[in-house]
Amino acid sequence: MNTLITSTTSKWLNKVPEITLAFWVIKIMSTTVGETGADFLAVNAGWGQGMTRVVMGALLAMALFTQLRTRRYTPWIYWLTVVLVSVVGTQITDLLTDGLGVSLYVSTSVFAVALAAIFAVWYWLERTLSIHDIVTRSRELFYWSAILCTFALGTAAGDLATEALGLGFTWGAVSFGILIAASYAAWRMGGNAVLTFWIGYILTRPFGAALGDLLTQAKTYGGLGMGAMWTSALFLTVIVMLVALAQFGMDNRKNVQATK
Amino acid sequence: MSAIVVLTLAAGCSKSDDTAAAPTTAALATPVPQPKTVSKLGDLSEFGNITADVAAIVDKGDLPAAKMRIKDLEIAWDSAEAGLKPRAANDWHVLDKAIDHALSALRADTPDPVDCKKKITELLITFDSLQGKV
Repeated sequence: MNTLITSTTSKWLNKVPEITLAFWVIKIMSTTVGETGADFLAVNAGWGQGMTRVVMGALLAMALFTQLRTRRYTPWIYWLTVVLVSVVGTQITDLLTDGLGVSLYVSTSVFAVALAAIFAVWYWLERTLSIHDIVTRSRELFYWSAILCTFALGTAAGDLATEALGLGFTWGAVSFGILIAASYAAWRMGGNAVLTFWIGYILTRPFGAALGDLLTQAKTYGGLGMGAMWTSALFLTVIVMLVALAQFGMDNRKNVQATK
Repeated sequence: MSAIVVLTLAAGCSKSDDTAAAPTTAALATPVPQPKTVSKLGDLSEFGNITADVAAIVDKGDLPAAKMRIKDLEIAWDSAEAGLKPRAANDWHVLDKAIDHALSALRADTPDPVDCKKKITELLITFDSLQGKV
């Protein structure tokens, strides 16, 4: 009886996951996997940047459409969407930098302003930025726009650190790691939860990229020399396991509810 | 803030220098004397060797084979980006542009042998100058 009620009701349950350690691990690793995957298609498979952009854009549209149509948080759809948003966010920045010659100072500033604007409109219309209440279509659209913007901003800011400061991946991983630890500490000491979450979300983009580089780059460059393929395989395995755990956990809870 | 302005200016200047220098090196097609400073990019022989290979194949007139071989350069260069770029971002961009030009010349719908040779030669010169061999 309960299942009948939940399936016919139009009220959404929260569409996005709770913020746990597993959330951050999947988020950081999916950045690396997404980027390696897009790189592989563009260079190794010889699709070129243009073709890869079109395909990734189409895949993101399909995943986002599916995500928006679900009534509650479904781990595999949610995380597939995050991976594709990560790829497309990175591609937007790369297109601006390499294709159109836009300076990283400009793109970093523009994305920062755009993100602030998204939050301003989101707050103005909804009176909350809470990610625990993504229960309407408009809030979910704000949520995904903000996420796309953080990936583009994180890519631009990370590249800027490489170009302007000569920050390699080892020091990049250390510096962005310290900044993430600082925002975590700020949150633990009573800092604003919404603000610290989004700062962490931006910082984990360049942190994930630096971590991925640390594992993939050859030893001559100070990396661990695991190569892109093995690093991606390792990360993908961890992601699939964590998402599968979350998915089975949800399905079990649903079954328990249904049998009650 | 002033540091940012200086850096932006510096980036702008180096870009206009490239475009100004390119036609002269191309027209002469011989190494132009340049200061013997080794780039902070370090050892680039792995990429230089593949380029020399491509140049030899282009000289033989086998452009399809050269197109196949230059993909090895693209893959090697692309996968080393995170390791090389932080060492000297400006030098990295100079090489990246030169590699891009050689790639597009060989990947044109109907590749022009003269243009391919020109772009590969320019790329070889770029490698040599960054390695301080010129």
